[in-house]
Amino acid sequence: MNNLVIIVPIVIALSGGLLWLLLPQRNTSASPASSFHPEINETLPSPRHYKHFRQIRQALCAADTEYLMKFAPPQVAKQALRERRAVARGFLKGLHEDFSSLTKLGRIIAALSPEVNRRQETERLLLTGKFQILYGLILLRLSMGNTPIEQLEHLTGLVGSMAARMDEAMAKIAVLSASQQITGSLGS
Amino acid sequence: MNLLEHVLYWLTFSFLIVLSGLILVRKVQRILPFFALYAWLLLTGTIVLYLVYGHFGFNSSPSYYSYWGSILANASARSLAIVELCRYGLRAYQGIWSLIWRVLTALSIYFLAHAIVDAWGQPDRFAIYGMTLDRDLAFASIVILTVLLLFRNYYGIALEPMQKAISLGICIVCAVDVIGNTILRNLFTGYLFSWLSSSQKALWPTLEPQVHLVRDVWSTVHLFSFMFSIGIWCFALRKPLPAPTESPVLLPAGVYRDLSPAINIRLATFNDRMVELLKP
Repeated sequence: MNNLVIIVPIVIALSGGLLWLLLPQRNTSASPASSFHPEINETLPSPRHYKHFRQIRQALCAADTEYLMKFAPPQVAKQALRERRAVARGFLKGLHEDFSSLTKLGRIIAALSPEVNRRQETERLLLTGKFQILYGLILLRLSMGNTPIEQLEHLTGLVGSMAARMDEAMAKIAVLSASQQITGSLGS
Repeated sequence: MNLLEHVLYWLTFSFLIVLSGLILVRKVQRILPFFALYAWLLLTGTIVLYLVYGHFGFNSSPSYYSYWGSILANASARSLAIVELCRYGLRAYQGIWSLIWRVLTALSIYFLAHAIVDAWGQPDRFAIYGMTLDRDLAFASIVILTVLLLFRNYYGIALEPMQKAISLGICIVCAVDVIGNTILRNLFTGYLFSWLSSSQKALWPTLEPQVHLVRDVWSTVHLFSFMFSIGIWCFALRKPLPAPTESPVLLPAGVYRDLSPAINIRLATFNDRMVELLKP
């Protein structure tokens, strides 16, 4: 570990990273676990964007595209298609937010649990990493003009069912925590 | 020491007195005893070195050993302060703490062993041992602090302002130490090493100004960074410390056991759907 050319960039990168981690995060929900109270449901991250898929589907349906290509002037059709792609991209970003909310919830549960499983935590970290890569690739594909509407629908359905399951889980957590606090206060 | 170094030395000394006073006034020793110990050790070391330099002379053997001894003592105290930072506020989160301490301990053992092996292979000079150990421990400190902050950010457990200031100050001191010590070490064990052997004694007077120049530049940079870090700590202690945060109310263990595998299965399915999106 004596090569200056290797050491200096590593130290600068690590120090820069450390400084960035010390800066207050833009996102106010950056400290969910330390500010989490199970009885306050408004503080919980929850998926929202998937609910708008019906409108998005309407806006992106293939029939509309065909109609535009057939009857609209080429300039207008091109503009419309570009805007539709932007809508799809925006929606995908929304789904990304939904996914992040769910993983954040997973991290809060882990942080507040008296015991965690190393394998589960590693797996979630890897799945999040994989998602980020896939998300980047799909955004790139959308930018190149392809709008896989059916697959987006499947994905949206999945986020919806995940959200429903999370709502159930959070209700359960709130009940369990409340009973634990009551037991704790009775015991003290 | 040149004039700039004198000014920096006395400024650093004044900052150290202010820091030690603030630590006592704000009762930091009750919350972070190892950080308080580190700060007081820095002040004590500076006073002892001043007395040794005054009594034995700057280029004497006791001054040489006192300097390198104080460097190693400071590095050890700093390491303890980092251990304390790692434990602070995280122990209450029993589940993730059991995960985090294992990772941090494994990293610490690896870096400590690396530092010992690295110092062991050096030419037989106390200064080079000290410099190598100090450099490797400083590098380990930056890595461990970064990993700690990554964990904290990932699980959303924010550091309090005082702990943030301590981390920032330690990072600055360590980064400058690693870079400076690597340059010096490479010079002394490489280019300059053959010149330092007794067979080259006749050439030492020619080499002396170069060695002094290197030492002066390094000393100035080191003092600047050190003073800056102490300034950060003093600034953080200008106001009384807030009351320590309450321990979190933990969820029943069954919640994690039930939900975590379910979340991971869902995430995996989500990723599978994402892969489908990519198919032509």
